[in-house]
Amino acid sequence: MVGPTAEASRDPGGGVEMQVGEVLLDTGFVQRWIGEAAALIHRQRDFLTQLDAAIGDADHGVNMDRGFSAARDGLMSDVGATPGGMLVQAGTTLVLRVGGAAGPLYGSALRRMGESLGEAERVDGGSLLAALRAGLDGIQRLGAAVEGDKTIVDAYAPALLALERALRGGRDLATAAERAATSAEAGARATVAMQARKGRASYLGPRSVGHQDPGATSTTLLFEALAHAVGAPP
Amino acid sequence: MIPPDTRRGTIQSVERAARILRALGSGTARMGVTELAEDLGIAKGTIHGLVRTLEQQEFVEQDPGTGKYRLGPALLQLGNAFLDNHELRSRSLLWADSLASRVGEAVRVGVLNGSTMLIVHHVFRPDDSVQILEVGASIPWHACALGKATVAYEESPRRDALLAGPLPALTGRTITDPERLREELVAVTRDGFALEDQEAIVGEAEIAAPVFDHRGMPAGALGLVGPVERLALEGHPPAAFTAAVREIARGLSRDMGAGRLAARGG
Repeated sequence: MVGPTAEASRDPGGGVEMQVGEVLLDTGFVQRWIGEAAALIHRQRDFLTQLDAAIGDADHGVNMDRGFSAARDGLMSDVGATPGGMLVQAGTTLVLRVGGAAGPLYGSALRRMGESLGEAERVDGGSLLAALRAGLDGIQRLGAAVEGDKTIVDAYAPALLALERALRGGRDLATAAERAATSAEAGARATVAMQARKGRASYLGPRSVGHQDPGATSTTLLFEALAHAVGAPP
Repeated sequence: MIPPDTRRGTIQSVERAARILRALGSGTARMGVTELAEDLGIAKGTIHGLVRTLEQQEFVEQDPGTGKYRLGPALLQLGNAFLDNHELRSRSLLWADSLASRVGEAVRVGVLNGSTMLIVHHVFRPDDSVQILEVGASIPWHACALGKATVAYEESPRRDALLAGPLPALTGRTITDPERLREELVAVTRDGFALEDQEAIVGEAEIAAPVFDHRGMPAGALGLVGPVERLALEGHPPAAFTAAVREIARGLSRDMGAGRLAARGG
């Protein structure tokens, strides 16, 4: 891996110049990310299902396992030309294969990330941050959820914020991605105390309190996978 | 002279007992006297008397280990009695079963309660998947087909009041504009069914038709609920599904004593 340079990234929002390391992410990164996500979700499948059984349809683990395995297999057999194109492809697979609410939500997030990266063959930290922000935006457009509603957003938003802060603070991408994963996990744990205001869990009203949100939990796995994929040598 | 424990015609101690039950029915399922007193802003001595009385009636019970209170078994009996005595629910049981097995999707029956649809009956999708029982759930009327099917046939003062809101967004597709909703309600009276496309939960759709009572007024609605790709692919419900929902709702309306004219949904 090459050390950080003083290259200023494309500023994704707010006028502050951000220094990011010259770690450029390519199609191999997307393969590693989705592959690692599929592996983590497979290992945690029963845990996700158990969480979902308390406040949902008890199908989150199975659905996510099926969808991410299919997305991984798709990227293995058909490596795209650009990271963006591969994320769009993986997102489309998720929409078709995951089902429930998670399919459209995660699928549209990956698709929007891919669209945000565009035709670039290699991607820096700033572009990745902008792409992740576009992904969150896609989820919030579909689900109309804000932080505190006990959804994916409660893990995703703090992870994104931590990533941005670390990058703006001059940290390298691997460190920033580690911090994002830690923040996602803390965010998911904080959903235990929340009353669901979106999705089927909201039908339970106050009874949804005391259970960790399965969507926020699977989001932590995606950020954990991202940290692995970024940290791994290219 | 008004007795000290009545306000605007209500009995304060009964109201307080109800608040205790609601507190115990919320997230913190077990609460001590001190916790309840702090949460509800009522003196500890008063709480103590109230929970002891509720305990005698089996509406609450005390955990022998911690001394904390939780909801009691008599409430389950009352909840079941509510459902058993609910005319639309009891008459809908066979109709809902028949609809679910005919089309292979989940069926729900709901009644308008304030501005939400209260689910009074739910038949699971007849496959082996795990599903959560939604009886007792409250869904904002404008975000579900059950609500749109019912409100479309309500008398105009009530319909106007409901359209005036609030109309919260449950997903990015929830219709929150009163004028667009009004147009949907007109379409419901034209088509005889209401459609909801991911307006309550991302990935789910619902097709519902109104059920009328002997006065020809909407008693509630009955509908199919399930994955959007089967119920409303690109916004289009399968004709076989809409026909089945309307037919079953008509049959249920007749069971409720609705005359031929009243079964306008058909």
